[in-house]
Amino acid sequence: MNITKVKDIFIKELSIEFRQKFALGGIFLFATTVVFIVYKSFNNINPREWTILIWIIMLFAGLNAIVKSFLQEKKETYLYYYTLFDPIDLIVAKLLYNFMFLCVLFLIILGVMFIFTGFPVKDYGLFFMGSGLGIFGISIVFTFVSVISAADSGSSTMMSILALPLVLPIVLLLLKITTVSVRLLVDTAIMDDVMMLIGVDFILLGAMLLLFPGLWRS
Amino acid sequence: MNGFWWKIGGALIFLYVLIGGLVIPIKPGITSVTPSNAKSGEEMSFNVVGYNTHFLAATKVRAWLKLDSIHAISAKEIQKITENEAKFTFSIPANFPVKEAVQPLSLIVDNDVDGVFVQPNAIFATVADSSTISGEAWKSSGIGQFSVVKGIKFPYRNILNETIRNTFFHIALWFAMFILLIVGVYHAVRFMNTGDMIHDIKSASFNKIGIMYGVFGLITGSVWAKFTWDTFWTSDVKLNMTAIAMLIYLAYLVLRGSSSDHDRRAKLSASYSIFAFVALIPLVFIIPRMTDSLHPGNGGNPALGGEDLDNTLRLFFYPSIIAMALLGTWMSQLLIRYEKLKEKVLLKNQ
Amino acid sequence: MKKFLSLTFISLCAVLPLMAQGDSLDFLRSTGKIYSVVIVIAVIFIGITILLYRLDRKLTKLENQIKNEQ
Repeated sequence: MNITKVKDIFIKELSIEFRQKFALGGIFLFATTVVFIVYKSFNNINPREWTILIWIIMLFAGLNAIVKSFLQEKKETYLYYYTLFDPIDLIVAKLLYNFMFLCVLFLIILGVMFIFTGFPVKDYGLFFMGSGLGIFGISIVFTFVSVISAADSGSSTMMSILALPLVLPIVLLLLKITTVSVRLLVDTAIMDDVMMLIGVDFILLGAMLLLFPGLWRS
Repeated sequence: MNGFWWKIGGALIFLYVLIGGLVIPIKPGITSVTPSNAKSGEEMSFNVVGYNTHFLAATKVRAWLKLDSIHAISAKEIQKITENEAKFTFSIPANFPVKEAVQPLSLIVDNDVDGVFVQPNAIFATVADSSTISGEAWKSSGIGQFSVVKGIKFPYRNILNETIRNTFFHIALWFAMFILLIVGVYHAVRFMNTGDMIHDIKSASFNKIGIMYGVFGLITGSVWAKFTWDTFWTSDVKLNMTAIAMLIYLAYLVLRGSSSDHDRRAKLSASYSIFAFVALIPLVFIIPRMTDSLHPGNGGNPALGGEDLDNTLRLFFYPSIIAMALLGTWMSQLLIRYEKLKEKVLLKNQ
Repeated sequence: MKKFLSLTFISLCAVLPLMAQGDSLDFLRSTGKIYSVVIVIAVIFIGITILLYRLDRKLTKLENQIKNEQ
């Protein structure tokens, strides 16, 4: 793995993102609209609903956002990348970029939710640590699945079919951690869940790093 | 694996499980005791309804109310009504050897046909005068010298009754599913290493049969839950986790169905199935232990062992897993042979 | 599609008898709920039969294809 190359790809992704401002705006608009619809239909959101809604919105907005990470570029571009970069460099850069992007998206959704519905979280440390770990896991799954669906048919339908069942375990863990962090539930062993989330992240990361070079060749 | 004997073996073991699992009777047990409350110092008679009991056929029926390992009282009068129903009269002593105001008592019944059976916490006795502690009236004779009955029987569980036999069919199905899916993943890994299409075919076939077993498991689990807990779907974690596992594998089937290019399909589905399996490991084995579950093996216990799987059940449970896995392998083998033939025909046409 | 249909069929077979809560089907819960075991075995049996049937159909198709070529 070559750190400078990872950095190069990362910066390239970032600059492409900022050149296409409409895509960024679209995702922002998506998040805001969904939060607004949810707010108008519930009017008064209690903490339990808040914890569930925030992850559902996050999941779908994130799915929309990540789909294009491998789908947006043409086959020829990939052939060009193939001659330039090591697959591990490429996937790590893409993963880091997706992770950063999802974190920003999460903060945006949190902000919008804060304006409309308030912020019931009591245990900030647990909430942000759990969310960060969970988003890292989600971005691993999404990145890997976007590689598969890009190689398969290039359709975004395949992406959601493949990705949603796979992130379910992570989302369930996240829901539990969030519920504890808003103090709806008292669980002294919540650190076990966090450790489990870390474990899941590492397992998935390892699987992805092992499997990607084989996929990349095709 | 083209031998013949393991297929026959699988079928024979399954037959053994089917016959043995259905024919061997359930141990006698107590279904209900009415009334379930008692007061100290009174003479009370309890109507006891048993399951698989032989009160009339038995020559000597004895019964005790047990407080703890050394204190018990024996029944004063025993009136047999039918084979499965009897009336036991106890005179409950005024003083208890312990201090609490309400004491759970276990009912122990013993006869020479059925042997001994117990209903834990059958009666809750209210102690009127809990200040005097005396174990005088609680020294009962005869307890400990139970009748010994020969022959193997399956254990009796109060809500489960006969459905305990589903252990051999429903639970064994899950274990066989795991074996098949593991074989599927093994072949996926082999495919990623060698690029040999035969491993792709094998992996897909084993996964397909594994998914089939999983779906059967969900359906049969639903049926069992309907009988025992009266709902089709419980919030039981193991059930829901397996449902998620099935969703992931159904996505795998969609992926396999979507692509027309053989080499690409093989590569994609192999890597997806490895990734999915890796995601499943924490899912099925770790997360269910976090919350209460209806299934045995929660709260840090090993999933097998303890009271829920006693030796007579083991006698059929393990063979059942082996039989189901062998039969599943047989079915996968048929699928593999079909796919190979199809491949050949396709190649000839080109 | 066929797969989906056969799945629905199996689940219906298993579930329909239980949906009816009337007295007429109370026997399903009699004798210590032994009928749940019967249904479980029946579901496994029906499922395997459907698998075999489908495989049979597919093989017949393949056989015809080979025959036509010769």
